[in-house]
Amino acid sequence: MTAVDARALANASSAPRTPLRRKGRIRWGMWITLVVIGLFAFAPIYWLLVTSLTPTNQVFTFPPRIWPEQITFEHYVEVLGNPAIFGYLRNSVIVSIITALLSVVVSMYMGYAFSKYRFLGRKSLMYFVLSSQMFPQALLLVTLYLVFAQFGLLNTYLALIISFTTFTLPLCVWMLKGFFDALPDDLIEAARIDGAGPWRIFHSVILPLAAPGLIASGLFAFVRGWNDFIFALTLAGPDKQTLPPGLVNTFISEASTSWPALMAASLLVSVPVCVAFILLQRFLVGGITAGAVKG
Amino acid sequence: MTIELSRRDLLRYSAIGIGGAALLGLAGCAPATTPNAPATGGTATDFAFGSWGLSEDATKPTLQAAVDSFAASKDVKVTGVTYPYNDYLNQLTLQVRGGQFSGAAQLDVAWLSALAALGKLSDLSSFTSGRGYTDAALGAGKFDGTQYGLPWTIGAIGLIANQELFDKAGASVAPTTIEEFEEGLRALKGIGVIPYAASTKAAQLKDIFVWMQTFGSPIIEGDKTSIGDEASIKAVEWYKKLYDEGLIAPDVDRAGARTLFAQAATALYDDAPVGVAPVVSQSPDSGLADKMVPMARPVLKAGDASQNVLWGHLVVVVDGEGSGTAAEFAQWLTSDEKQTVSYFEALGLPPTTDAALASDAVAANTFVSDFTSRVTSTATPSPLWVYPGYAQMETAVAEQVQAVLIGQSSAADAMKSAGATVAGLIG
Repeated sequence: MTAVDARALANASSAPRTPLRRKGRIRWGMWITLVVIGLFAFAPIYWLLVTSLTPTNQVFTFPPRIWPEQITFEHYVEVLGNPAIFGYLRNSVIVSIITALLSVVVSMYMGYAFSKYRFLGRKSLMYFVLSSQMFPQALLLVTLYLVFAQFGLLNTYLALIISFTTFTLPLCVWMLKGFFDALPDDLIEAARIDGAGPWRIFHSVILPLAAPGLIASGLFAFVRGWNDFIFALTLAGPDKQTLPPGLVNTFISEASTSWPALMAASLLVSVPVCVAFILLQRFLVGGITAGAVKG
Repeated sequence: MTIELSRRDLLRYSAIGIGGAALLGLAGCAPATTPNAPATGGTATDFAFGSWGLSEDATKPTLQAAVDSFAASKDVKVTGVTYPYNDYLNQLTLQVRGGQFSGAAQLDVAWLSALAALGKLSDLSSFTSGRGYTDAALGAGKFDGTQYGLPWTIGAIGLIANQELFDKAGASVAPTTIEEFEEGLRALKGIGVIPYAASTKAAQLKDIFVWMQTFGSPIIEGDKTSIGDEASIKAVEWYKKLYDEGLIAPDVDRAGARTLFAQAATALYDDAPVGVAPVVSQSPDSGLADKMVPMARPVLKAGDASQNVLWGHLVVVVDGEGSGTAAEFAQWLTSDEKQTVSYFEALGLPPTTDAALASDAVAANTFVSDFTSRVTSTATPSPLWVYPGYAQMETAVAEQVQAVLIGQSSAADAMKSAGATVAGLIG
């Protein structure tokens, strides 16, 4: 070995950490963080699955088992054999889809108006719309109940759709406003020069570009309608009950809760929503980030 | 880029929006229609029946069969209105207040004052004569001297013991006094179980009231509360003593106590007869039902009366369309011997008439017979139930008791504070 080689070797061993080692540590840190977050996110779902496969008299065995000693599908059979569950599912799908569509249609016009139009009171109106998000939903429950009662809307899909849309609109409007803000005004100017009127500009030029934002806000509105409990319990009659109050009604009684059956039902009814999210997830991520509020 | 709206456009659109909002506001402020006074007897008409049991897996088939049977016999349609138990009172109150509900409704005995305060319940006194209801059961359905509710099942919340664990520990399942009771708990601790799964979670700490009564506090005297008196303080100090000695466990509510009992992790807990079936169903021990024995609550001094709080269900009738036939349904459901005995056989819920209680089916059920004689016979309604805001009073006391258990307050300070809050709620 030459003196140069020896010097190089000595320098290498005492050199500060190389970028390669730092990258390796960062990668390890990232994986550990992902595993921890994954555990928090998926452990409850795993527990849901395990409980749904456990016989009722073994659910509360202590110490708890990571995998049941005996597996049973009786709870799934019980759920699938209960026609009321499918009724709740049907009602949830109808109400959530219509809420999503209505929220998207109304909020896209409102968001576009806030974004591209200038008029007196525009900013005040925007903040007024957003401020409605600060009210707890339960605060408006009695008032809405009385209003719907007067109009004969109780125990109808319309009562649920209107009330769900009331609470999803503000955030959908802001989400879409941010999305439209990101679209350059030059597009609108160019379309106007080509002779397009305001309606044509919006529907033919702007909307196609806003598809990810529309899907993101639609999914948000869908989930909001899907998960709501108190309004669905109060405003919908027995025929129109959605999943949350329906499942509570069926599996949570005065003296006990059928946890395994409830877990089985929860997993089964989550499947359609999960499939929808998987299919639309690229729009969801794109839509949320592109529509980030820019002030 | 800006697209200008003219002031004329803005005014036009604002007027449409504000006008629409005003219409909705006026609709919301419009008074609800006043229901007609009920016509009892006469031609049978369709009516609604509100019940949480109509949606619960355990009770639905039995209850629906009863409803269908009555509907067929009278050739009427009975519409079921059902909500989960925990939300039932709020939903029913909203429906009744909004004029959306009339007919018969199942009710927990504790809720009678809240619903009666709405002023829409029918007086069912005329439906009680000659039906054989026990006096205690009828008392549970009375508010302010009026028979608003017909008693459907009446029991109590009492102590239920695991005989096998008591025998193993050498403890008695019939302690007379508090001292004997404590000795039994200490013996149970020695075999490695939670001796007594008493309620220690704030949501369920209303169970403390019966112990306050055991120590001599009436809770309510006239129109004033006695919470904060020496007896209530002593009761809480005693509860704290049990907690510190490990004879009761932290963070236990009724559901948790049932689960612990089902797993044989505790030897004693508080429950009504309705809780027995769920406990048995979630237990890996198929013979648990035979080991469950009701225990008379111990007293402070020999000769005192054992204190227990009433539990049960009533059927009330809300004035309006169909209330006449609904009242006949309520009477049949709660006092027809064949119906009430079959209800007991299916669900184990004690009937409320002398004839049904004396039937072979009820007499043959040892647990229910023992429960009735040792617990229900001395049960009384909670003194707080006469107030529609009783739930807030219970919460106020429960939170203070929990503060004592976790060492944040002394029993004296906590009960004085709780007493002041309850006094404020009484008004």
